[in-house]
Amino acid sequence: MRELLRRSTFLKPLQALALLYGLWQLTAWCVPAWPSAHDVFRVLGADLRDPGFQHALLGSARRMAIGYTLVMAIGIGGGMLLGRLPLIDQVLGSVAVALHAIPGAAWVPLSIIWFGMTEQAVIFTILLGAAGIVMVSTDTGIREVPPLITRAARTMGAFGLRYFWFVVVPAAIPKIVDGLRLAWAFGWRALMAGELLTSVSGLGQLLNQVAKAQQLDQLLAIMLLIAAVGIGVDALIFKRLEHAVRVRWGLAS
Amino acid sequence: MRVELQHVSKSFRHNGQTVEVLHDINLTVAPGEFVCLLGPTGCGKSTIVNLVAGLETPNAGTILVDGRPIAGPGPRRVVVFQDAALFPWLTVLGNVEFGLRMARVPKTERHTAAMAYIKLVHLSKFAHAYPHQLSGGMRQRAAIARALVMQPDILLMDEPFGALDAQTRAVLQEELLEIWRRTGCSILFVTHNIREATGLADRVYVISSRPGRIRHVEPISTPRPRHAENPSLVECQRKILGVLEEEIEKVMRDELGESIHIAHDQAGPNRLREMHS
Repeated sequence: MRELLRRSTFLKPLQALALLYGLWQLTAWCVPAWPSAHDVFRVLGADLRDPGFQHALLGSARRMAIGYTLVMAIGIGGGMLLGRLPLIDQVLGSVAVALHAIPGAAWVPLSIIWFGMTEQAVIFTILLGAAGIVMVSTDTGIREVPPLITRAARTMGAFGLRYFWFVVVPAAIPKIVDGLRLAWAFGWRALMAGELLTSVSGLGQLLNQVAKAQQLDQLLAIMLLIAAVGIGVDALIFKRLEHAVRVRWGLAS
Repeated sequence: MRVELQHVSKSFRHNGQTVEVLHDINLTVAPGEFVCLLGPTGCGKSTIVNLVAGLETPNAGTILVDGRPIAGPGPRRVVVFQDAALFPWLTVLGNVEFGLRMARVPKTERHTAAMAYIKLVHLSKFAHAYPHQLSGGMRQRAAIARALVMQPDILLMDEPFGALDAQTRAVLQEELLEIWRRTGCSILFVTHNIREATGLADRVYVISSRPGRIRHVEPISTPRPRHAENPSLVECQRKILGVLEEEIEKVMRDELGESIHIAHDQAGPNRLREMHS
């Protein structure tokens, strides 16, 4: 029974994908100049073996890695500071909320004015597009420690910094992880917007190139890859992490 | 440790109104004594525990510990809460070590001490399990070990077995008495169960509701182990029940009055069902 269940959950998305692939092929026959799924995958396969393409892909990955590391550091650090200092929270908390209401792409012009058409501008875009959500969720997690946990900790002599480090921070981890997961999605979007507009060598800039050259099959291949990386990292890392944390913290079974 | 409450009153602000929860409470727990607070739900017995723990401050009166007024919570007066309140991110061992860690006890020392108390509550096999992997009774055992490892002078227990099934509760009551005998700490134990109170305590304070006052103090000298059918115990229970019945009538009058009032609006029938469930 268990085996059957596992198989069916594995098969269902596969069947759905096969269906999608078939439909795509059908539309390609009907609509002229629309590349078939087969063509697009073939192009993607060739792209992935191309050194220039690999260079662009690695460039995007590097910027995302640097940007996301900064997002984690500044988002979690800032959120903890906000959660700890109510006075600053009242002033900067609303700024953080406002920051995370602005889509990542909207930061690109400012980034270009400050950093020019550079790699730094792209990283800055990721930072501003994704740090706000981490800051807000960390802040919330820090301020919303369950009262019973606080009471128990107090009677066992937990005060001051030790209380913060051994009780407040671990209690906030589910919220922080929620924020990190969203920040990945926001950051990935911001990276693409940044690369599209700054023409720093990367996936976004390749999109620009192939669009100008009217290479529809190339365009679709790159977009497919962007979607795959976005979904893949979320499913392989963040979804698992979030689930593990929710189980451990008794929020899910 | 001797805990004394002298003329303690406590009120809370609720929806802009001041509600008196406790009125002129006088109560003593002698060193090594097992005292139960018994009363209907909402009579403020948990507030007494929070006051003694230092988690709340009284509006009037004083709380003395060994003759000195208390200044906030501290590990000499540890609380065991109804739903264990274990830290979900720590194993049983991590939870039991927590208080020692706060007190900066060196690692090997606190490990040894924690394992000893985990053994005392029969959880050795589950020392490395996380709270979400434990049953309700096991969680409560872990919470008791976590409190005892601090070697408190008084253990404050706020309906610790209230959420457990009858068998588990009976087993834990027996074990608690054994632990109490071995550690010699005082226990202030809150319950709304007469059998539990008379089965455990040296003295039972019966608390009335709204505001909470001490209605009756019943010393219980029946030697342990106690059997529920013991005539002197039955006599105690009968006396306490007499006091409580008046109280319960009062509560019922209050609640029924309220529900009849509510029954006039649309939401009436549902609210009534909730109250009696």
